[in-house]
Amino acid sequence: MSDIIRRDPRAEWIMRNRLHPLHDQYVSQEEGGEVRGPSGLIRKFPHKVGFIGPNGIKRIDRLKGNSSAPQGRRSSAAQEVQLPLHTVANPDYYIMVAADMVGGRLTSHDKDILGLAHKLIAEEGGNGAVVAVCFGEVKEEHFDTAGADRVLHIEGEEFEGYAPEARMQALAQVESQYTVKHWLFPDSIHGGCDLASRLAARLGERPATQAWQVNAEQAVSRGASASLDITRKTPKILMLLEECADAIDETRHEATPLTLETFSVAAPTITDQGLMDVDPNAIPLGEAEFILSAGNGIHNWDQFHEAAKVLGATEGASRVAVDDGFMPRFRQVGATGTWVTARVYVAVGISGAIQHMQGIGQVDKVVAINTDAGCDMVKRAALSVIGDSEEILAELMKLVAEHKQTSLSDQAEENSNAA
Amino acid sequence: MVIDWLPSVLIVVLLALGVIGALRRVSLWRAGQPEKVNLIAGLLAMPGRYLKDLHHVVERDKYMSRTHVATGGGFVLSMVLVLVVHVFDVNEQIVAWALLGALLIMLTGAFFVFKRRLNPPARLSKGPWMRLPKTLMIYALTFIVLTLPAAGILPEGAGGVVLTAVLSVGVVIGLGELLFGMGWGGPMKHAFAGALHLAFHRRPERFGGGRSTGLKPVNLEGDVLGVAKPSDFKWNQLLGFDACVQCGKCQAMCPAFAAGQPLNPKKLIQDMVVGLAGGTDANYAGSPYPGKEVGNAKGGPDEIITAGLVSQETLWSCTTCRACVEECPMMIEHVDAIVDMRRFLTMEKGETPNKGSEVLENIIATDNPNGYAPSSRTNWAADQNLAVMKEKQEADVLFWVSDGAFDMRSQRILRAFVKLMKHANVDVAILGDEERDSGDVARRLGDDATFQSLAKRNLATLGQYKFKKIVTTDPHAYHCLRNEYGDFDTDGALAGVEVLHHTTFLNQLVQSGALKLDAFKGGKVTYHDPCYLGRYNGEYEAPRELLRSLGIEVAEMERSGFRSRCCGGGGGAPITDIPGERRIADMRMEDASETGAELVAVGCQQCTAMLEGVVEPRPEVKDISEILVDQLVEEVH
Amino acid sequence: MPHKVVSLISVGRHPQSGRSRRAEQDSRAVELGLKLAGTDLDVVHAGNTEEPTLRQYAGMGLPSVTVLEQDEKADAVESLQSYLQSEKVDIVLTGVRAESGESSGMTPYLLAESLGWPMVSRVADIVEVKDGEAQVLLALPRGQRRQVTVKLPFIASIDNAAQAARQSAFGPGLRAKMEAQQGSESVDEIRLNWEEVPAKARPKRLKVVKAKTAADRFKAATAKPQGGSGKVMKNESVEEKAKAIFDLLVEEKVIR
Repeated sequence: MSDIIRRDPRAEWIMRNRLHPLHDQYVSQEEGGEVRGPSGLIRKFPHKVGFIGPNGIKRIDRLKGNSSAPQGRRSSAAQEVQLPLHTVANPDYYIMVAADMVGGRLTSHDKDILGLAHKLIAEEGGNGAVVAVCFGEVKEEHFDTAGADRVLHIEGEEFEGYAPEARMQALAQVESQYTVKHWLFPDSIHGGCDLASRLAARLGERPATQAWQVNAEQAVSRGASASLDITRKTPKILMLLEECADAIDETRHEATPLTLETFSVAAPTITDQGLMDVDPNAIPLGEAEFILSAGNGIHNWDQFHEAAKVLGATEGASRVAVDDGFMPRFRQVGATGTWVTARVYVAVGISGAIQHMQGIGQVDKVVAINTDAGCDMVKRAALSVIGDSEEILAELMKLVAEHKQTSLSDQAEENSNAA
Repeated sequence: MVIDWLPSVLIVVLLALGVIGALRRVSLWRAGQPEKVNLIAGLLAMPGRYLKDLHHVVERDKYMSRTHVATGGGFVLSMVLVLVVHVFDVNEQIVAWALLGALLIMLTGAFFVFKRRLNPPARLSKGPWMRLPKTLMIYALTFIVLTLPAAGILPEGAGGVVLTAVLSVGVVIGLGELLFGMGWGGPMKHAFAGALHLAFHRRPERFGGGRSTGLKPVNLEGDVLGVAKPSDFKWNQLLGFDACVQCGKCQAMCPAFAAGQPLNPKKLIQDMVVGLAGGTDANYAGSPYPGKEVGNAKGGPDEIITAGLVSQETLWSCTTCRACVEECPMMIEHVDAIVDMRRFLTMEKGETPNKGSEVLENIIATDNPNGYAPSSRTNWAADQNLAVMKEKQEADVLFWVSDGAFDMRSQRILRAFVKLMKHANVDVAILGDEERDSGDVARRLGDDATFQSLAKRNLATLGQYKFKKIVTTDPHAYHCLRNEYGDFDTDGALAGVEVLHHTTFLNQLVQSGALKLDAFKGGKVTYHDPCYLGRYNGEYEAPRELLRSLGIEVAEMERSGFRSRCCGGGGGAPITDIPGERRIADMRMEDASETGAELVAVGCQQCTAMLEGVVEPRPEVKDISEILVDQLVEEVH
Repeated sequence: MPHKVVSLISVGRHPQSGRSRRAEQDSRAVELGLKLAGTDLDVVHAGNTEEPTLRQYAGMGLPSVTVLEQDEKADAVESLQSYLQSEKVDIVLTGVRAESGESSGMTPYLLAESLGWPMVSRVADIVEVKDGEAQVLLALPRGQRRQVTVKLPFIASIDNAAQAARQSAFGPGLRAKMEAQQGSESVDEIRLNWEEVPAKARPKRLKVVKAKTAADRFKAATAKPQGGSGKVMKNESVEEKAKAIFDLLVEEKVIR
């Protein structure tokens, strides 16, 4: 199908003319479809909205299907095409965004910062362009909608894997080759903060770290373990917290590639030996993001350990399970044990003493497997399953095993990207 | 008669050896640290302390008290008379008859000791202690025979050389045990050391019905904080260890021992004796620390205790419930010794186990054990409309909330208590965010520096306001405020202030008619005495009276009142968490279940938490204020 | 040959009470230093000798603490750099970010840059130091680890994933010697122009709804946050129940 939108003057004319004999036919044809104006924007056809009520009066029910245009039917590809293109020709200066690119894709953190970069350009004026600077393997396909006017992909063996020194030198080279107004980095544990600090030290710039409110003149950043707001003149190098600005979502950008002149990279003093295999059970309970926790209701402990292994979850336990000697003390979750921060917490056979509930206060999603539908854990849980934990765990393990079979190749890919 | 003089000489020789041994023993105690004791007053008070206070404890076991009076009294009397008759050769028949009488009394006593030892209870030590009744009887019999001529029953010189030789052997055996053994560490050491221990006791307030339970403060400027080596104990503490009779009453009462944790108070005191005298515990013939073999411990007065004599877990198993101290007939202070040694581990070595170091660090940085924001201390009372001292400056009653303020379960107790006070129109205020942890946990974990800092800061806060009473729902804070803050209250912040536990206070309100309560209609109720309310502060009656005022007939547990078993929550035990075979709380809940009660009334948030931690089915657990609040008569307006 | 290890310490700040304390990461740096060098470890603080927090560090078993005496406003990097240059140091350990002050986390980077040493950030452990090289474990998110080899001398910033610091004992802390040296006097001029106020709570981003109609905007604004009572499955088959859990785990991306 061609992407060029063509008007059909006759159809439009018939649609406008309610007395035309073909009017009804054309209107019903358009039902659910969309009418485009001359600029390609969707136009609302007011006459088609609503229905005729029983007494012949037109009714508009805004909540039933008539609200926003039915989104499901529009393919996302088609939508992106519609966004107006923002072009920057021969920019006077650049704002460099060194993206984390976790797994080769822009993170939401990266996208927020690209949004901030545009905000800075808008405030500073002049003909500035936003550059997404990235290293290593890149799988991102939507630099354009994320707001990258230019993409500087620095490739080369020396930048692969863990190579903060080489990457920093590359950025220093970028600095000398281009007119850079600001360097924006995500203040993240995925390397953004490290790289930014290295570059700042090399360039002798004093960066703003943990910045969260930035405009062209002033940057507000956190200090003293996030207990202080420091306001200062916006420096050249900024490390930005998540949600520092809104991501780009209404424009499309050129994402033209930039190139970097070749330069020599000093021999690294840090050599990467690769990732270590970490047993999920070796992850400290407080840090774990997925916990399978056992309580008094567990009778088959071998199966429980097996399930934790299959699910890749860190094991937790209620106080009773620890007291009874089935689990070591450091596995205890709760006010007197560890306060966990997991995103998902599966409580198997834990009824939920108040101290335990305090310990899982920060958990996003709690799943309860319990025989008692009235217990406190079930009240807290986003999903509760009432029944015998042994059967349910067995079934769950089966599902996960099947899932792993099918997505084994995907997973291998993911891992290599995470590296 | 050729060897007629032999018994007399033997008596003198053994007496001399005994005295030498005793002097040597005294020199061992003197290795300890100086402590001011009024020696003369102590010695003068000693017989009274023995006859009243010690006997009062022994009296709990009538059999033993009578036996001991007969044996001990008979021996002391006979020994004096033996000297009169056989050494100074006083030839008054009446004296000899008196001696015979004393010896007969002693013989009877010793016989009953012997009978008890035929099938001894497990708590008793064996070894030399099994020999003791026999040697006592030999002594008595020997001197009876020896005295017969002086009493005019037998002619002088009857029986000839053989009898004299046999009697001499008897003298050696009997007096060897009684005089020589007394000075040189035999079982009879207890009589000598015990008598002096009573005279020079570190807590003389305990005698005459008094109570002294507050821990002694550490001098933070000292070279070593706490007790590292036996010689770091005060000299009269060392003396106290020597007074132990190994009766094992402490062991029978110790909750940690019963739970299979590696603590046995009797063995601990014996290890201290090994430490002060030097050597190994190979001769110890009592129950070991659960899970630990006897014979491997060795130490000396100047050797680090935890390096070979006593393991650290032993010291951290104690819940500081004071059951052993309460039970000890020799009034030995086990808890003092344990905390002294913990102080060294925490303040010098930094080896508080498990969550201990985290808790202490939290207390230092946030004034509460769990590291909550100090500014959230009053959050629980957001809907309680409670006056805060900072604004009010003056109130009749200061409600000391304690760290229960941060715990959701304990908050229910606090709210119930506040509701009761409001009903009774009590003029009450709280310190709000100005309150800090009382320091109880820090102190029991051995961090006296932090305790002292908290105590001083709390006292400075208290000193700013006027109030007549402090009431608290937390017996641990109650104990600190009442018994331990006094050492630091240089400005008299608590002078003239009555510190009360909420059960005492509520009882006053109920008795005065300020609180009207309906009769309780639930099932059977039992009451668990919190250690820090009962044994530490002697409050057994007010909670029971409160329950009676609801018409509740308390179904007493077998171990209640001063013999109440700990819930396992004291002394930082849940924090140091030394593994055992059972949990103390489970055992206590079994005690409660045995009464058939459906509800366990408690007067402590820590006990509530521990007992509620027992897996269901079990009786319900409620603080007394929670029970009362349900029975409030709502007045209709 | 034993290696000369230096741990840099700063005054921490308790997140709940705001009171000063030994900083989490710095005390881990001391712990790791003690593991590598025992009591030969040199612990250095740039600041005030009287600072009570130093006693908390010393309570970890340090016989002495070196203090480069300087004003609160002075630049710590300068004095640390000259100190490190004058001593023959192999490994310098710091925290990732200080808990007080600007807490930019730049100190180790600036030191590394000016000394020309490698800098490894977010270290979980130093496994081995041998032949002028160190095997270092880096902490990655979610408990993952990466091993790298670094040439001596180097600077490492210690992550929270490193071995937790041992307990601080009051007595040794009280008795430790504070060995004062003259630190830098140059004042951090840039910082003087900053405006520092207690942190405001950051607004959490609401779910952005590009509403087309007023009704949609209204709905988005008034929609109840997710929560309330969750879904309870009681009478479904075991397969359905397991599937529901499985779907949730996949949706939350904890099963990949």
